[in-house]
Amino acid sequence: MNKGKGTKGAEKRAAYIFLFPAVALLLLFLILPSISTIRFAFTNYNILRPNNIGFIGFDNFIKLFHSSEFRQAIGNTFYFSLIVVPVQCLLALALALLVSSRKKGVSIFRAAYFSPQVTSMVVISILWTVLYNSSATNGLINAILAKFGIGPIGFLTDPGASMNSIIFMSAWQAAGYQMMIFLAGLQGIPREQYEAASIDGAGKFQQLLHVTLPGLRNVIKYVVMITLIQAMKLFTQPYVMTKGGPQNSTRTMVYFIYEQGFQKRNFGYACAAAAVFFVIVVSLSLAMKRIIKTD
Amino acid sequence: MKKKLIAGILTIAALGAALSGCGGTDASGTGADGAVKVTIWGPVDTDAAEAWWEEKIPEFNKAHKGKIELSREAIIRADSYAYEDKVNAAVTSNDLPDILYVDGPNVSNYAANGIIQPIDSIFPEAELTDFVDSVKVQGTYDGELYAMSATESSVGLYYNKDMTEAAGIEVPTKIEDAWTWSEYYDAAKKLTKDGVLGTNVIMDKGEGIPYALEPFWVSNGTDYISEDATTADGYINGEKSVEAVNFLNKLIKEGIAPLEPLQDAFGNGTVATLLGGSWEIANLETNFPDLNWGLTYYPVADNNGKNASPTGDWAATITASSEKYDEAAEVMTWLMNEENVTSYAKVLSKLPTRNSSYETLTEFNEYPRSIMKEQSMVSGSPRPRTPSYTVLSTGISEALLNIFSGADVQTELDALAQEYDEDFQSNYAE
Repeated sequence: MNKGKGTKGAEKRAAYIFLFPAVALLLLFLILPSISTIRFAFTNYNILRPNNIGFIGFDNFIKLFHSSEFRQAIGNTFYFSLIVVPVQCLLALALALLVSSRKKGVSIFRAAYFSPQVTSMVVISILWTVLYNSSATNGLINAILAKFGIGPIGFLTDPGASMNSIIFMSAWQAAGYQMMIFLAGLQGIPREQYEAASIDGAGKFQQLLHVTLPGLRNVIKYVVMITLIQAMKLFTQPYVMTKGGPQNSTRTMVYFIYEQGFQKRNFGYACAAAAVFFVIVVSLSLAMKRIIKTD
Repeated sequence: MKKKLIAGILTIAALGAALSGCGGTDASGTGADGAVKVTIWGPVDTDAAEAWWEEKIPEFNKAHKGKIELSREAIIRADSYAYEDKVNAAVTSNDLPDILYVDGPNVSNYAANGIIQPIDSIFPEAELTDFVDSVKVQGTYDGELYAMSATESSVGLYYNKDMTEAAGIEVPTKIEDAWTWSEYYDAAKKLTKDGVLGTNVIMDKGEGIPYALEPFWVSNGTDYISEDATTADGYINGEKSVEAVNFLNKLIKEGIAPLEPLQDAFGNGTVATLLGGSWEIANLETNFPDLNWGLTYYPVADNNGKNASPTGDWAATITASSEKYDEAAEVMTWLMNEENVTSYAKVLSKLPTRNSSYETLTEFNEYPRSIMKEQSMVSGSPRPRTPSYTVLSTGISEALLNIFSGADVQTELDALAQEYDEDFQSNYAE
């Protein structure tokens, strides 16, 4: 404990230097664009006319709150998130429990369940568009269903089914990642607890309920939180598979922003939508954080 | 401690280098030998067309050594609006190339927004007379020429001969005998059996819909928007438009045509007929040589509807931000010279835009290519020239897909008309 003051000062300096790259990147790619977004939200910025931007006050926001399309996009995003988070987390937990045993050959299954995660979402979306095709001649799933006399079902063409089809596919694709996190959590539960439980006469199910789940509590919180934030950002699947249709049933907030800003070139309007989206996601994250802290 | 400091400084230096690397295309624009660098952006094309570029660009560079160094960047289109997205982003960051290929109907939009500049001076009157009218119409905005294309396109009705013969269906061989909607419907209905669908009208979920289906409107005596482009109200949501939509909707509702676009469904024999582009001929010849197929004219509306067929293709423009107009003009002249128009059209199996090219491309005098040539000369109708085309294009594909999946026809079309009028009024009205 004989470090002098000078060394501490140097350490501090070094700390700032090490902080600099991260702070600079955050500033450049996160903070500054966010400020620009909010600024553009009050303008009539057309993306093809970057040199001709006029201030229009709250017009974009007023238009946004009168837009039934945007309201539906918010609704769709929440619907997707509320369904996909529990489905995906339960699926991931079930898979993790399945592959956590130390039996021979289990690593093959671990790799298999994780493999959709390392494939690009665009590729997966294109593949599933073919699987989901609404005719029994061209779509694999409908061809199988037809053998049982069911269908054909318009997985992506029926407005009532399209979002559920995307939910199912997304949960299947992403569950492998959460499974890995759960697996790591499972390793962290001391074996003695299971031994003690079985000596006390607890069955497999009781062990799951009273040892495994409490042991995973923090991991579950973390997984739910990141899944929720990911889910709010849903874009690739509707972009590749449905273009937000049919009848707006898969238009999400981020897709709406993209469509307005890039396809229809109303960049100012898209920025207003992005600002609203930002507020929603931030308040949601803060709320989640609070819920988690109360424990 | 010193080591840490050095590491920190190195990181910052690396970061700085990385950031300056984001600066985009180099501003100087001259190569090592003093040649002016000219860049072309175009959509990724068929293998044959990509090979054409790979052969032609070095040829050009060899001939212009020390003066112009040409390069081309092919950008993925993905049956969607990915290419346009990239162009939009490049406008914001001032990264546009010198020569930009744009899809025909977007010419007005880019011209109205000052993204591209007039090219009248590159094509003198004597030169222009050799080009077909539709390509000049497509490239003109507000009285000035902004774009020129080497190829034209058309859409015809492909049919599986084995299937039509088995069903005893006679297919028209003259343009004046082209099927009416009712005849087309009856034939397609008859051909729908054993898991094979009668026809296919959906090319993709993007521009393919407004492009390939517009003749249903034109033949029925209307169009998407007014002639002067100022309004869509009374056009896209008018009575005649509703008739056209109802006809298409009937094909899909009754299970005669699939709602989802499907790659090569016609080649694989899962649909019996196909409203397909002129480029489909090359695809069928190369990839499905055993398929017994034929080609007939685009169907016309009942009650003496006039013949109509789609036109338009990707066209070359010079960006307003390019500071190398003279060099870009030289490239343009070279791209559109007779030899290149002819050879480019040949490898793509597309219709050439120069009348003189037909003298070499004699295959267009023979069936089935003759059908596409005849349509392009007799019944070609360009898509609307409006600066609000992007809103119209996305709006039409979306509205039609909604209607085909059960939405109310009039509600969808009214909403589209309103959206178009709003965009036009707020952005382009004088």
